[in-house]
Amino acid sequence: MTTFVQATFDGVATGSLYALIVLGFVVIYRATGIINFAQGGALLLGGYITYNVSTSWGGNYFLGILFSVAVCAGFNVLLQRAMLQRVFREVVGISAGLLGWAALYYNGTTHLVGLIGGVVIGVLAYFITARIEARVGDRGPSELPLFGAIMVTIGVLFIVKQVTASIWGFAELSVDDPWELSRTVVGDVVLQHSKLAAIAMAAAALGVFFVVDRYSRIGIAMRATHFDHEAAVAQGISTKIVFATAFAIAGGVAALAGSAATAGPELITPNLDFVVFLAFPAMILGGLDSPAGAVAGGLLVGWIQNLVKTYVATTPAWFPIEDLDWLGAGFERVAIFIVMIIVLMVRPYGLLGTEEVRRV
Amino acid sequence: MSAAFTSPKRFAWARRASAAPGNKAQKMHVHYRDDLRLFPNRLRRAALAAMVLAWAAIPVLWDVAPFTLLSGNGISLNTLAYAGVFSIAAIGLNLLTGYTGQVSLGHSVFLAVGAYSTAYAGSVWGWPMWLWILFAPALGWLVGAAVGPFALRLRGNYLVIVTLGLVFIGEHIFRNWKSVTGGNAGTSAAGVEVKLGFIDFENLSLFGKSFGKDESYFWLIWLLVALVAWLTKNVVRTRPGRALQAVRDQDVAAEIIGIDVGITGYKTQAFAWSSAIAALAGALYAPLQLFITPGDFTLLVSIQFIAMIILGGMGTIYGSIIGALVITALPRLIDGISADYGLPGVAAKSTDSGLVSVASLNVIIYGFLIALFLLVEHRGLAGIWVRIRNYFSTWPFSY
Repeated sequence: MTTFVQATFDGVATGSLYALIVLGFVVIYRATGIINFAQGGALLLGGYITYNVSTSWGGNYFLGILFSVAVCAGFNVLLQRAMLQRVFREVVGISAGLLGWAALYYNGTTHLVGLIGGVVIGVLAYFITARIEARVGDRGPSELPLFGAIMVTIGVLFIVKQVTASIWGFAELSVDDPWELSRTVVGDVVLQHSKLAAIAMAAAALGVFFVVDRYSRIGIAMRATHFDHEAAVAQGISTKIVFATAFAIAGGVAALAGSAATAGPELITPNLDFVVFLAFPAMILGGLDSPAGAVAGGLLVGWIQNLVKTYVATTPAWFPIEDLDWLGAGFERVAIFIVMIIVLMVRPYGLLGTEEVRRV
Repeated sequence: MSAAFTSPKRFAWARRASAAPGNKAQKMHVHYRDDLRLFPNRLRRAALAAMVLAWAAIPVLWDVAPFTLLSGNGISLNTLAYAGVFSIAAIGLNLLTGYTGQVSLGHSVFLAVGAYSTAYAGSVWGWPMWLWILFAPALGWLVGAAVGPFALRLRGNYLVIVTLGLVFIGEHIFRNWKSVTGGNAGTSAAGVEVKLGFIDFENLSLFGKSFGKDESYFWLIWLLVALVAWLTKNVVRTRPGRALQAVRDQDVAAEIIGIDVGITGYKTQAFAWSSAIAALAGALYAPLQLFITPGDFTLLVSIQFIAMIILGGMGTIYGSIIGALVITALPRLIDGISADYGLPGVAAKSTDSGLVSVASLNVIIYGFLIALFLLVEHRGLAGIWVRIRNYFSTWPFSY
């Protein structure tokens, strides 16, 4: 029984992490129909910024989390404007800004000077392009086909991962968080404080999201856009703002997930983005367009993963096969994909997803 | 559309031009058989023959002037052999993704099936070449046909994620089925015999001249590239190919006009054949690589294949080959150039200081190329080529 409770607690902790990650995917998918693989990049960036603020800049851990949430939200909005909803002057402005930042950084300026310089260059480029466009005619936004958009986000994930690795290196780093290795033991069940914190953080973020989604103007606008894009536009909803908000929310929760995943005994490396791939079964299980499904799927998958991990290591007495070592190390990660495939065979749109009506 | 555009009289001149032999001008497709033709005119056929001959002569001419520029900068015949292997796999992926519209991130798994089965059949069972080179695609076909119906029940985003799952499951099996794959340490394919009858590809002698492994493998692999390209081209320009493209363009409509998209239908068959082609590529990969590990078949490899067909051109055969050449050669070129001359901000060795390492830069460039081509020219290099060709063939008109 202790084993089961322990596995369940660990499962809820892993599951709330997955729920946060999946929420980011679902919010973007619901608004734009894109699976944004670059969420992995935002997660990585968030984790490292929290690390940087909490250790190198001598700052507060919670301040680091807030800062990383803000940066990742901004990163996602830039990504959406530059790559997915391409307005020419914005693309030029953002590219020039990033290039300027990289050039200044490479030439040995401090972070702050590089950042301010990049922003100035980007804004200048934006206005110059806008002036030129005013003369020669506006090109307007051009949208990518869906498959193209998904592949572009994979490309961005690669770039962000390598850039992160080149800034912070491939070594495992320890984040300076207030929990460290502290824990409480109830009965025989070990409750790690960092895991409790992850659960609390996820619960708070999800609670805020559901309130915003349900009652605020922008939440209603997001749901309306998902329900019927054209009708929403006809009602005066700005899809530009809706898309940007969805990406910003997704960036924020990805940063939270990145921080939660590296707290306590966990270390941070550029391979952290792998956890995003592990969250895919949760996303599919819940259904791509259902935030409630994200939470349900996340918790379920986290739970299954930890149960499998526990019981493959120590096979219970009633189980007919005595030794499960042949399944190999890390089988729990594969098990969740197998569960995902089985669920998809029965329900092709996940447990809570909306069935897509296809017309010719 | 008014009758004037479709009446046979109006295009009589074009049909005459089309029927006239030896006319070098680009002809308008006015008849169904024009669409089916492998080569639209003799010029194209001659150009292709010349290109094939020139390509086949590369190993002989490798030490001569223009090629030394490549060999001096990190590209060897061996690189081109790898590019050939990846061309075969990319053609397979293009059949599934470019022509049938089913995006698969699981292509590296089928490459692995081919590679591991060849290493095992060739080294442990000691099978001769003609047997393992047929066995690998057959096994790949079977695995594809077994997985396909499950995966293809889903479409779009869900399919992408399920094939992603396939990569993880595959990698787990390769890491843990130690008796066949050797686990994390990998398995050797050195014992695989690459010898067809009296033709020994380890040590080829032609016209009294003997060639080494690099040259012989180059010919073997590119011969198979040509074969696969030709077979696939024949598939896609005839009835099954048109069925696949109908499924790609609108699967519900395709089903309504009588195209079978069921469990044994065209989608599953495309998946199975695409897997078989990938496994054939894997069969050649094993003796070329000599030692294969699960690290050779990760998600990154699958994404490289996607990058190849995006860069080269979705739904074109020659695009797959161009894409494979560029994506395979580019990292070696960057390696070579940064080792010799140094690139700003790039660390050639792990001990050097620099903003990014060469390996990181390569991955960044993949990502950048995928994004750039999708944003700027989503039909890839093939699309650019078609545009240039059409510009000249319809000159001085713009259409």
